[in-house]
Amino acid sequence: MATQAEVRAARLAELPFEASASAGPRSVGGFVTSVREIFSHRELLDLLIRRELKSRYKDSALGFLWSLIKPLVQLIIYYVFIGQVLGAARNVADFAIFVFAGLTLWGLYSETISTGTASIVSNGGLIKKVYLPREIFPLAATGSAIFNFLVQMLVLIAAILVLGQFPVSLNLLYVPASIAVVLIWGVAFAVLLSALNVYLRDIQYLVEVVMLLLFWASPIVYSWSFVVTAVKQHTWLLDVYLLNPISLAMLAFQRGLWQAGNQTRVIDGKTIPPQDWPASMELRLVVAAVVGLVVMFIAQRIFARLQGNFAQEI
Amino acid sequence: MPALHNAPTVVRATNVSKRFVIRKEKSLKERIVNFGRSQKHKDDFWALRDVSFDITAGTTIGLVGANGSGKSTLLKVLGGIIQPNDGKVERRGRLAALLELGAGFHPDLTGRENVYLNSSILGLSRKQTDEYFQSIVDFSEIEEFIDTQVKFYSSGMYVRLAFAIAVHVDPDILLVDEVLAVGDEPFQEKCMAKIREFQQEGRTIILVSHSASQVEDLCDRVVVLSHGHVVFDGAAAEGILALRESFEH
Repeated sequence: MATQAEVRAARLAELPFEASASAGPRSVGGFVTSVREIFSHRELLDLLIRRELKSRYKDSALGFLWSLIKPLVQLIIYYVFIGQVLGAARNVADFAIFVFAGLTLWGLYSETISTGTASIVSNGGLIKKVYLPREIFPLAATGSAIFNFLVQMLVLIAAILVLGQFPVSLNLLYVPASIAVVLIWGVAFAVLLSALNVYLRDIQYLVEVVMLLLFWASPIVYSWSFVVTAVKQHTWLLDVYLLNPISLAMLAFQRGLWQAGNQTRVIDGKTIPPQDWPASMELRLVVAAVVGLVVMFIAQRIFARLQGNFAQEI
Repeated sequence: MPALHNAPTVVRATNVSKRFVIRKEKSLKERIVNFGRSQKHKDDFWALRDVSFDITAGTTIGLVGANGSGKSTLLKVLGGIIQPNDGKVERRGRLAALLELGAGFHPDLTGRENVYLNSSILGLSRKQTDEYFQSIVDFSEIEEFIDTQVKFYSSGMYVRLAFAIAVHVDPDILLVDEVLAVGDEPFQEKCMAKIREFQQEGRTIILVSHSASQVEDLCDRVVVLSHGHVVFDGAAAEGILALRESFEH
């Protein structure tokens, strides 16, 4: 009878040699290999997402309610100050739903990018000691952002139901499309920036500042109609505005969930026409998703190039 | 330990070289200020130079050398944690790296949660962890604290749990960096017994150690490194002599 050692030796003799990651990045094949490797670690990804969520609010009495409190306070600030004090709500029907829809989707994007960017550096202890497909860390950050997004989504849907504004129509299909576009771009940037952040720590501070700017570059607290009116003289600027995939996704998301935007409403005796949504939004969304996938591919290739030195740079 | 006839090669390193570049500046400001002069702010040295060897299944191999001779770097290159600048490493079979016990532990999670997380990091599936869970806890002997957050563990409890997980990952190749001397004496003996059991089972163990007696005791082959070069590769007893000699250079 063969001993355990002999059985093992026989089994090992059958296995092909695998070159460790040092074989160098091959473009498409390398991407496929990486995706397959991440897929085989999906259980770990799941555990890392749980770890992130569990540890974030551990030992706090309110726990994960905190992840709701922040957007709700934001909602109150924008509703009261921008909506009522500065008067944006006079031109936007159901302003609360409008703003909260925007904040929810924006939260997904900004949390994916900002926690994703820091993810490689903050998991340095693991990266230096164990080999794992490193893309898993920005992806885990994305996973926890998705969880927070879903919680906010529940609040949003509850609010829509309470106000009796449930938008049952084909427009609802815009919602998953917009989420997909945001996730594709969010993951692409998270992967790219997390790798760059290892070499240049300024990236994570830069990201904070840029996200602050980008917040105002998308129709979150002001409506699309406002943009259309503002650039009436130069309509080409609208196309520039829509080049930002997040602005486009934001519009699609609002089109799906914010019923007042598709209806004529009367506020204080003033008639508000439905939003003049940009033409061929479906096509634009498809293009944004496809371009996003290309960017994601490039980001992963750059990541693969840079990750060889992660362990010594962190 | 039974030496097998024509045991297959499991690790093959060919002309592996690794150069480290140490930049003394890190921030954008410093880089801009020093732009163009940045060569002055770089130090580089070869941590490994043209290292080649094969390891056959079932051997226990000790990597020894003075501090800074490149042994930990070599171990990381073998484990795929660092990519070499030159040359390549090929390997087959499941590999587990014990470079630091509890590297994947999260202080805020409980022992139980960390067992699942860490086994997954080391490559076990959830189902396998379920299967081994009791045995891991028994090995670590900290059953009553398994649902406590690990930040409240004593350092001994911490490494016990980490080691218990590590030995339950069923690796073909085990990389060990100075982690065998953990816990109190009875636990250390338990660890050594486990290592011997691993050897019996034909697993390949690559270990970095400063303890000559441990190396002599466990290893059947020793590779001595000095300034990134392999200066000796052979039997354990002679390896220890070669190591002593390399200190004098």
